[in-house]
Amino acid sequence: MENQTAEVLVLGAGPGGYTAAFRAADLGKKVVLVDREPALGGVCLNVGCIPSKALLHAARVIAETREMSENGVSFGPPEIDLGRLRAWKDGVVGRLTGGLATLARQRKVTTIRGYGRFTSPHELAVELAEGGAVSVSFEHAIIAAGSEAITLPFIPASDPRVIDSTGALEVEEVPSRLLVIGGGIIGLEMATVYHELGAQITVVELLDQLIPGADRDVVAPLAKRVARLYENVFLRTRVTGVEARPDGLAVSFDGAKAPATDTFDRILVAVGRRPNGSLIGAERAGVAVDPSGFIPVSKQMRTSVPHIFAIGDVVGQPMLAHKAMHEAKVAAEVIAGKNSFFDARAIPSVAYTDPEVAWAGVTENEARAAGVAYGKGVFPWAASGRSLTLGRSEGMTKVLFDEATGRVIGCGITGPSAGDLIAEAVLAIEMGADAADIGLTIHPHPTLSETVAMAAEAFEGTITDLYLPRRRETAR
Amino acid sequence: MTDVSVPDLGDFADVPVIEIHVAPGDVVSNEDPLVTLESDKATMDIPSPAAGTVRELRVKVGDLVSRGSVILSLDTEGAEVEPPPLTDQQEPPTLDAADPVEAAREPAARSIAEAPVAGATAGAGEVGAAAGASAAAGAGAGAEALADFDGVHASPGVRRLARELGLDLTALSGTGPKGRITKEDVIAGVRGPVAAPPAAAGIPQVPAQDFSKFGPVEVRPLTRIQRLSGPALHRSWLNVPHVTHDDEADITDLDAYRRELDTAAKAEGYRVTLLAFLLKASVSALREFPKFNSSLTPEKDALIYKGYYHLGVAVDTPDGLVVPVIRDVDRKGVTELSKELGVTSARAREGKLGLADLQGACFTISSLGGIGGTSFTPIVNAPEVAILGVVRSRMAPVWDGEAFVPRLMLPLSLSYDHRVIDGALAARFARYLCGVLEDIRRLVL
Repeated sequence: MENQTAEVLVLGAGPGGYTAAFRAADLGKKVVLVDREPALGGVCLNVGCIPSKALLHAARVIAETREMSENGVSFGPPEIDLGRLRAWKDGVVGRLTGGLATLARQRKVTTIRGYGRFTSPHELAVELAEGGAVSVSFEHAIIAAGSEAITLPFIPASDPRVIDSTGALEVEEVPSRLLVIGGGIIGLEMATVYHELGAQITVVELLDQLIPGADRDVVAPLAKRVARLYENVFLRTRVTGVEARPDGLAVSFDGAKAPATDTFDRILVAVGRRPNGSLIGAERAGVAVDPSGFIPVSKQMRTSVPHIFAIGDVVGQPMLAHKAMHEAKVAAEVIAGKNSFFDARAIPSVAYTDPEVAWAGVTENEARAAGVAYGKGVFPWAASGRSLTLGRSEGMTKVLFDEATGRVIGCGITGPSAGDLIAEAVLAIEMGADAADIGLTIHPHPTLSETVAMAAEAFEGTITDLYLPRRRETAR
Repeated sequence: MTDVSVPDLGDFADVPVIEIHVAPGDVVSNEDPLVTLESDKATMDIPSPAAGTVRELRVKVGDLVSRGSVILSLDTEGAEVEPPPLTDQQEPPTLDAADPVEAAREPAARSIAEAPVAGATAGAGEVGAAAGASAAAGAGAGAEALADFDGVHASPGVRRLARELGLDLTALSGTGPKGRITKEDVIAGVRGPVAAPPAAAGIPQVPAQDFSKFGPVEVRPLTRIQRLSGPALHRSWLNVPHVTHDDEADITDLDAYRRELDTAAKAEGYRVTLLAFLLKASVSALREFPKFNSSLTPEKDALIYKGYYHLGVAVDTPDGLVVPVIRDVDRKGVTELSKELGVTSARAREGKLGLADLQGACFTISSLGGIGGTSFTPIVNAPEVAILGVVRSRMAPVWDGEAFVPRLMLPLSLSYDHRVIDGALAARFARYLCGVLEDIRRLVL
């Protein structure tokens, strides 16, 4: 391969990178997209969002068929063929990444497979996956180098029984006892999958709550369910050591309820992700990188070097594909001369656990900490006809409002499909909708989407599906 | 590499970039124009401070800049660069400052934000600190405020439109439900604060239409010239009871004479056009009919007669119609007028006319002769009381009493303020004017 020139170089082909590349190409730029993996799509498509959702769907089917047996429909115990399950999952991934390759071709985006490092403010050297090297000189660059799973120093990483999320998604086998270190979104999603596939799950979390970013009451239905289904959930507990033995991995804990030691067949480490800002030669381009590996950027996604931009996991939390994709468009548009800014008022987060947990905007914890005068409307799904007909009653929808304006400032939802329901709240926040706007919008009955309107009505005092004497609106 | 910024060109701030003459990679010489700025008063080119290669543009057309705003970065080929006028804003931001993000803030947004933000938050404790800190840091904070549109009740699409048009939403009040800023508010905001139309009560507004229902649309702000001339034309149209009187002048002989002069003039590098003769003939008619060189008093109970002869000439420019004024036409000959018209219309097309060039006309001529047409209704440029429109002359058969002979006929359309001039006077004025054009020897009488 010959040396390349690009008007816009994009380093990293995850959701942020490919979106930036495609948008820049659509705005008339000559784009080169560099990624070290064979398939476009980054962690999200290849070893993240998408394959995990395929496995979570399988888990959901297993759970629902089991639960339905109590209601008169029995299928018998599931027979699980891991090979076919894996092949189906890989097929979904292949279809999506193949689609990306086509989209890149249609836009005449040049893709280079290899490890890219900056050598100057206008040049990137790529160590090609096929061998050899190539240099790309560029006018503008967009760094979308992503993040990687954090490893723990005291855990023998070379032991095949210690896996991260990528390894977990391979589902090589279902261990009889699995320890999940980290009670965040990734750890709990994988716990959901392996539990339904037959593993006994122990979750250990350093803080005093599962999914620490969300409000405790929003996480509570999930916490209650996993406490019942899983072998153990240890909060405020630290793993202090792991010893690899032939018969298993001996783990020592430091926590009130945890035993001093226990032995597991496998350990999934899901303690967070580390940005890749320090791995790409950014210093040779003059791009400032902070000690933790994040690249600070302006609201136009510009780094400390005006013609170099950065987006996605590498610029900061939350490390979410949908944040990266929006940042990508801002960077590409600014390069093309548009005056775009990243000014989203809410970035939704979703845990695709069972039940799902989703939240957006200000959480109650944050509102309290910031001294915001807020009000809330809460609707328990036990009063939702649709939820009950799905065989579930533990969900809840909570919407937070600014007391002064009545506008929606945050929302938390737990229950099946919470991840889909949260979008309405995000739109409401962006549009500056208030409780009346949502309550007066006719939602179809019976659906789970009604719960958002009901929560708004609960805040307004106009709800009739609950009896809330103190909140009841008097004659106006 | 050097950053080139807007030098101190006088008392202005937040003026739009209307043209960019270079692109990244262009090689420029010292003093080559880089960009053109347009203030309310005039346009000006920012010259390159040195020879070099343009590395990166930091502004685009429509950006508002002030003294010190960085325009572009220049590779100066080792050449010496003149010391920049404002070094504190020219230096690359230092990254060990508390917030590297602040330091990296883009310069264009910075200049947009500077003025309104400083004004809006004056008095807050934070501003005192910013004012005391380096100019760059203060400007960075300003850009941040614009970027956030914090607390502004506007949807994402409206926020994006505001960014594209360089409008600070925090300074705008919304007309939508619950004070929401709508797309229409943003577009109106870009037009600038238009004085509430006093006649609005009496004039039914054209209802707004959502054209996007019918097909793709695009919103482009009017040029500065259009924004200024539109209200003036509307004012004249609503205030002046217009009548347009048409006539025709036989300019066969005049044209032959003009061609003679023009042939000689070409050798000297200027052109003699019909317009120069129209100016002279108009002055002659204005002298004969002084009412045409008057204006109504504001109380509309008297006429102000003018003892000078400054004539407006409508010039079509890429950005819209402008009417520069040729002064003291009565004291200038056709040759001098021809030269002056050439220079003036060139400056008008380049957008380089100043305010003084546009003031003081008694009467205006609008010529579409270069394009065509048979007649039209020019709008009187109030408080003037008449305007002469001319279209393309054409060869026509004219009965001379014995036979049809081919004569070059020039159609004239004279619009006038019927409060000052009645139809008979207008007809006499037009006849007189045609008479002068038909026999220009009368000009010397």
